[in-house]
Amino acid sequence: MNCPYPDTLRNQMELVVQLIVYGILMGMIFALIALGLSLIFGVMNIVNFAHGEFLMMGMYIAYLLSTFLRLDPLFSLPVAAGAGYILGILSYRLLIHRILRGPMVAQLFGTFGLMLFLRYLAMYIFTPDVRSVKQGILVGKTLSLGWISVDASKVVSAGLCLIAFAAIYWMIYRTKLGRALRATSIDSEAAKYMGIDTRGMNALAWGIGGATVALAGALLAHFYYVTPTVGMLFTLIAFATVALGGFGSIIGAFIAGIVIGLIMVISGQLVSELKFSFIYAVYFLVVVLRPRGLFGW
Amino acid sequence: MSLKTFGVLFLIVTLSFFILLPHLAYAQKEVKIGVILPLSGPLAPIGKSLKEGAELAADIVNKKYPGIGIPIAEWEGIPGLGGAKIKLIFSDSRGDPAWGAEQAKRLIEDEKVVGLMGAYQSAVTKTASVEAERAGIPFVNPDSTSPDLSKRGFKWFWRVTPHETWFTRDLFDFLDGLVAGKAPGVKAIPKSELEPLAVAAENTEWGAASLAEIERFAKERGWKIAEAFKYPHKATDLTSEARKLTASKAPTFLFASYVSDAILFVKALKEMKATPRLIWGQNAGFIQPDFWKTLGGDVNGILSRDVFSAVLGKVKPEAERINKIYKERSGFDFDGSSARDFIGVQVWAHALDKAKSTDPKALQKALNELHIPGKELIMPWMGVKFGSPFPGDTNQNELGSGIIIQYQGYPDGKPEIVFPFEMATSKLVYPFAGWK
Amino acid sequence: MRRFLLDIFSFDDRPRFERVGFLLFLLVLLIFPWIVTSAYGRAVAIKFLLFALFGLGWNLIGGYGGQVDLGQAKNVGFGAYATALMIVWWKVPFWLTILPGMVIAAAESFAIAYPMFRLKGHYFAIATLCVALVWKELFIFWDWTGGARGVELSIRSGADFVYMQFNSPIYYHYFIFFLFLLQFFFMNWFRKSKLGYQVQAVRDNEDAAASLGINVYRTKVVNYTITGGLGALGGSFMAVYYLYIDPDAVMPLDLSILIAMTVMVGGAGSIWGPIIGAAILIPLDMYLGAWLGAQKRLGIDFMIYAVIMMIIAAKEPKGIWGIIERVIKRQKR
Repeated sequence: MNCPYPDTLRNQMELVVQLIVYGILMGMIFALIALGLSLIFGVMNIVNFAHGEFLMMGMYIAYLLSTFLRLDPLFSLPVAAGAGYILGILSYRLLIHRILRGPMVAQLFGTFGLMLFLRYLAMYIFTPDVRSVKQGILVGKTLSLGWISVDASKVVSAGLCLIAFAAIYWMIYRTKLGRALRATSIDSEAAKYMGIDTRGMNALAWGIGGATVALAGALLAHFYYVTPTVGMLFTLIAFATVALGGFGSIIGAFIAGIVIGLIMVISGQLVSELKFSFIYAVYFLVVVLRPRGLFGW
Repeated sequence: MSLKTFGVLFLIVTLSFFILLPHLAYAQKEVKIGVILPLSGPLAPIGKSLKEGAELAADIVNKKYPGIGIPIAEWEGIPGLGGAKIKLIFSDSRGDPAWGAEQAKRLIEDEKVVGLMGAYQSAVTKTASVEAERAGIPFVNPDSTSPDLSKRGFKWFWRVTPHETWFTRDLFDFLDGLVAGKAPGVKAIPKSELEPLAVAAENTEWGAASLAEIERFAKERGWKIAEAFKYPHKATDLTSEARKLTASKAPTFLFASYVSDAILFVKALKEMKATPRLIWGQNAGFIQPDFWKTLGGDVNGILSRDVFSAVLGKVKPEAERINKIYKERSGFDFDGSSARDFIGVQVWAHALDKAKSTDPKALQKALNELHIPGKELIMPWMGVKFGSPFPGDTNQNELGSGIIIQYQGYPDGKPEIVFPFEMATSKLVYPFAGWK
Repeated sequence: MRRFLLDIFSFDDRPRFERVGFLLFLLVLLIFPWIVTSAYGRAVAIKFLLFALFGLGWNLIGGYGGQVDLGQAKNVGFGAYATALMIVWWKVPFWLTILPGMVIAAAESFAIAYPMFRLKGHYFAIATLCVALVWKELFIFWDWTGGARGVELSIRSGADFVYMQFNSPIYYHYFIFFLFLLQFFFMNWFRKSKLGYQVQAVRDNEDAAASLGINVYRTKVVNYTITGGLGALGGSFMAVYYLYIDPDAVMPLDLSILIAMTVMVGGAGSIWGPIIGAAILIPLDMYLGAWLGAQKRLGIDFMIYAVIMMIIAAKEPKGIWGIIERVIKRQKR
């Protein structure tokens, strides 16, 4: 039921630019979320279903620190990243390394069980009530860029994502540690013969993966609500993003994240109800027509 | 017989015993009512309010609370049943219609409840009431608003709350009233200032029903709609949907959303510095404590349809007194959710008293003939009487009504009643002042 | 003909205790509604049989096929909607609605299979998930299927065998039991059939299978198609059992996951696995969930399954049946 008022060309242009800006901002956050998933898959070929739950944990950390310690949520970022790192390593040492040898069915269900466990643990501890971060330097403030106004926290989050990506990229491609990681992902047997501690590398991948996505969670908490069940939706978007970008590719995760962000915003404008379908459809098409994604192994 | 087979048999036998266990002895001086609510999952906070409202009512029925001013407060148990106390047996629907139906079965046949109440979500109420209808056990629905529910011609289903058709009619009565200058404190507003309307509804059973009703009434009453769409609930981001609303240049935004989406919408609109003149939410998310707790002062000026507001205490002393007790126990004022399940139990209490028996047929007759006058209710209704207020309705309370509240003075304010105009507790704040 | 019947009903290749155990199990199920009269207990049995039905179907792709399919719920939805809509629109008797549902599900699976089987492993699993989610969103979006408001079937009184509606759970019990037996014996035939061996060969080693002349691609596609059709059967049952279906009830992600999970926990790839998995998870869910749900202990029941799942994933990927078989093998030594 549309009764559109006549829009001038300028209005249309404004709309398009605004959508693109929103899409890129959201997309960078999706990219950061997808980064960890891509890394873990690159190094040891396992898909982490619990990825979104690490995100959720990051969100709760930001919420708790902000509400009970009155810390600005910005300060929760390193805490969330640290907690994510620890959780990642713990997950690896307690569960993942045991299921790596098993059939894919087992691997899928191992991380799946982890997902359910973390989700319902959060539900038990925090109850399903919706919570959010209420104060902070960035919370609820808007910036004006020309005629567009955007949530300040989204802009800063996007900026931090860029920094995080750059940092990870530098680490992977410019440091010795990164080289060891890459060696493990290319051929873990050979890497072992070269004296690389592959188990340590695996754990590290999980640690970094957990840290980045928990960081993304703490960023999201600035403008999104916090409940124990937010994880699944972001996990699915992360899957689509990583598949599009190519499992194992950092650049791929970045570009794919932006593409997915744009798709989401544009389809939200056109046929809002099917916007996730568009994203899933994109995944499907990419993966069938070009299974390695844009940049994957 | 090998050890394995024995083991398997043993397992089967023990399981069977386990299954046979939940046969409770039938307590004599107690009347059990099964209550199915979403106690887990995303609607759990609402489920909690509903539960607390029901529990308070049961308590007031069972114990003497002098000085409140409604009959059930003087009761100590149900007089018509010799003082038998109401016992509510709560069951989690998990928000799942199939699970809710299983729970209904369990309550009916294992717990042997005298009747059922619930289930907030219309989809769950649909399946759970089917079980009641099949079993010939009364199902009182105080809190689901999909119009479909009272159009099924069921003989064992009674709905107490007004449904979406009512509320939408209220909305358009309100809008027409604004144009006619009936709103307290506001001069007549030209229709061109409020038209066209923009509507966003979540794509659930309830959202879809709300949207359909709004479109129907808009057509009937001659209001133009610029934009009306459904969006996926539990979305990660609603900025482009919010953009759709602002891009439509409509000065009036209407929403049918649960709490998390409602919060996202308001935040997104604030981010865009949107300047609508009127923002209205179709209950649900817009009256949840989480909504105003999260958004704080940003909710000021937003309207929502509701069935109850604590400020009713200003015009209804009984409501004030009961609200006081409720607030002491739960920490919150009564809201549309808790108040409705309170009335649900009240209806049950009166029905049981009138029937003077727990026999299903007697209860059915009592419910069909029930009439509770408005002054005995904490709601601003004319009362409870089941009939056919809209075409196709059966067993629907004819005397209910909705209200429209407006958030004023938050974070420390209260939702003020702005409609019906005669019951207004405050002037209407118009136009919407925007966000800082 | 005799060979064919023997294939369906014989278990000569399984050790004796399995045959005896299964017979006892069937016996218990047969008399179950008469020994357990609580409505809830009967509902648990019906749900168990329904999930055993789902699990047996999923086992084709997930167990014998070795491919994790996380989108089975779409097939359930196709069956449920086919039945519900045919009854509501055209008053078609239930038994005639089963076949169209299965055909639609199988056809969709067939169409999807061609692109999907270019994927392997995780990519495939996520793709199945995405496809199912897209279908669910479509069903919510489409008004002609009722959209989010779903489809309601009208209540008929007494025992109606045309539309399979009864007011006593006993009828439903035997109804689902019958469907379960149908699928079970189909599975029995399948695992001994040429297709069954081909599917398992492909699962175990694609290259070796190809070198034996098996058309790997075609085998996978046929397998997935059949799985789709079988999933619809349970969906048709759901429509007449619950009398109300909507996309969130019959096609949600959680259902796909639950189906895959019960088979995996029980033991994918064996004929008993799905039954064992359902026998453990469903009563656990129904009883723990009911007991814990109304208290403040939200989430503990799911935490328990989660831990069980993780342990099974780590220790015995062949599931509980795998554990049982291992114990027996050690016993024999």
